Amino acid sequence: MMDPIVGLWGVEKVFGNGVRALAPVNLAVQPGEFISLIGPSGCGKSTLLKVIASIHAPSAGQVRWWGRDFAHVGSAGHRMAFVFQDPTLMPWACMEDNVRLPLDLERMPATTAGPLVRDALEQVGLGHVLRHYPAQLSGGMKMRASIARALVTQPDLLLMDEPFGALDEFSRNRLDEEMARLCYEKGLTTLFVTHSLYEAVFLSSRVIVMAANPGRIFGEYHIDPAIRRDETFRLSDDFAHMCRDLTQMLTEATHATFSGGA
Amino acid sequence: MNARHMARLTLIAPTLVGLCTLGVWEAACRLLSIPSYLFPAPSDIAASLHANWPMLLHALGSTLQVTLVSLLVSVALGTAIAVVLVQHKLLQVSFMPYVIILQVTPIAAVAPLIIVLVKTTGVALVLCSTLIAIFPVISNTLIGLGAVDPGLEAYFRMHKATRMQTLLRLRIPSALPMFMAGVRIASGLALVGAVVAEFVAGTGGNSAGLAYEILQSGFQMDIPRMFAALFLITVTGLVLHGGMTTIERLLLGRWMRPAT
Ligand SMILES: Nc1ncnc2c1ncn2[C@@H]1O[C@H](COP(=O)(O)OP(=O)(O)O)[C@@H](O)[C@H]1O
Ligand SMILES: [Mg+2]
Repeated sequence: MMDPIVGLWGVEKVFGNGVRALAPVNLAVQPGEFISLIGPSGCGKSTLLKVIASIHAPSAGQVRWWGRDFAHVGSAGHRMAFVFQDPTLMPWACMEDNVRLPLDLERMPATTAGPLVRDALEQVGLGHVLRHYPAQLSGGMKMRASIARALVTQPDLLLMDEPFGALDEFSRNRLDEEMARLCYEKGLTTLFVTHSLYEAVFLSSRVIVMAANPGRIFGEYHIDPAIRRDETFRLSDDFAHMCRDLTQMLTEATHATFSGGA
Repeated sequence: MNARHMARLTLIAPTLVGLCTLGVWEAACRLLSIPSYLFPAPSDIAASLHANWPMLLHALGSTLQVTLVSLLVSVALGTAIAVVLVQHKLLQVSFMPYVIILQVTPIAAVAPLIIVLVKTTGVALVLCSTLIAIFPVISNTLIGLGAVDPGLEAYFRMHKATRMQTLLRLRIPSALPMFMAGVRIASGLALVGAVVAEFVAGTGGNSAGLAYEILQSGFQMDIPRMFAALFLITVTGLVLHGGMTTIERLLLGRWMRPAT
């Protein structure tokens, strides 16, 4: 089998204040997977994502990207993009400049970057507000801009931390459908943190259930990646069954006590 | 009430209040026949402004020069000091108390010392004024440089931004609103400092400022002229404040409404 996109071996994270956010975690993310991380709050979902993004260094264990170390991340074919829980846009820059940021940081010439930036904004339905500033847009639009900023780098791995957590259910469902279309059509490998079990089932080919104190992987749930993610799926009996199974697993994870290992 | 309507109202209402006050003032002085050497009517002040215009204009020029030079020095030096202090926690901890001492000591109490110590009057005046105007620049720039969104900082780190890229694209823009607010406060304080220093120095002749005009008018019991000089100081303060607010709005307007 080829190298996983990201591999974690015995990764632990203990913060300076003594909080054990991650007990040993092992995980291999395969190309084309859409993985959701779900679990009670404080179970280390964000920490796991930030370790993968190299925003946090693990306290123990090893992380490998495309079978190599972080120094190679960012080169062609090994690009990683992160969408935070908040839009995290630069308030002093218009949408176009915000989305161009990752390209600017790698010193791509403006003439090359321009069309890519407009494409990315077009893709998330923001083609009409290129010159608008974050303060002029709604929460949902800012989140879309944040996604455009991730897509513009044409990432090979997309990390998203509860990107639609702050949105109303209607906007969230619509964005979920667009996300699913984007990721499945392009075969984009995605790691997606959510606290919504329905969102996890709707989007994922694999759902990873985590438990807290200390944060660890409790179980996995696989969903056929060939299923079309649309309104029909959301209303199907299959969907309801999967949600029921996952609810059960999540309940067990919430009450589970730690007995060492992962 | 819509925004445009409100904006017009915030212009018209204070103007009306001002005009009414002037009207009542003028009427009261005339009806009660208050002599202008006790309390001049607006028309007396206007007449004095007209009569003493060349001298007052010259004084205004002197005060304005001290104010603007010390504002420039404060902004340049204050920013430099803040940038140095922000480099290391130890530097900040070691020097911050002295910056605060600078701030809490009343300028009127220090000014005589500076006037005695520094022989060149112009330099002494600028120094006094800078001494109080520099504090808001230092403290606001420090706060601004520290106020970087941790999410954006993580984003820059993840995308392997260089130190220079982080400084130019993240730290400086993040600091700008606080910095500009500091400069706006400094512009007001620079004028205060200049006038106080002029009072203490009491310099006449070629470098006489508006404070000297006020002192002289007091000695000569020329109260209308005193008011005229006072009026010019107020107008200067207002113009400075307006100018700073405009610059702030031009720089930050679209992403942050500057505090008023
Ligand atoms: N920077 C940090 N410093 C100290 N403790 C932290 C930090 N970030 C997260 N934690 C702690 O680690 C645990 C896991 O947090 P997190 O990964 O944010 O959980 P989740 O995203 O699943 O809600 C929590 O107990 C949280 O308080
Ligand atoms: Mg979280």
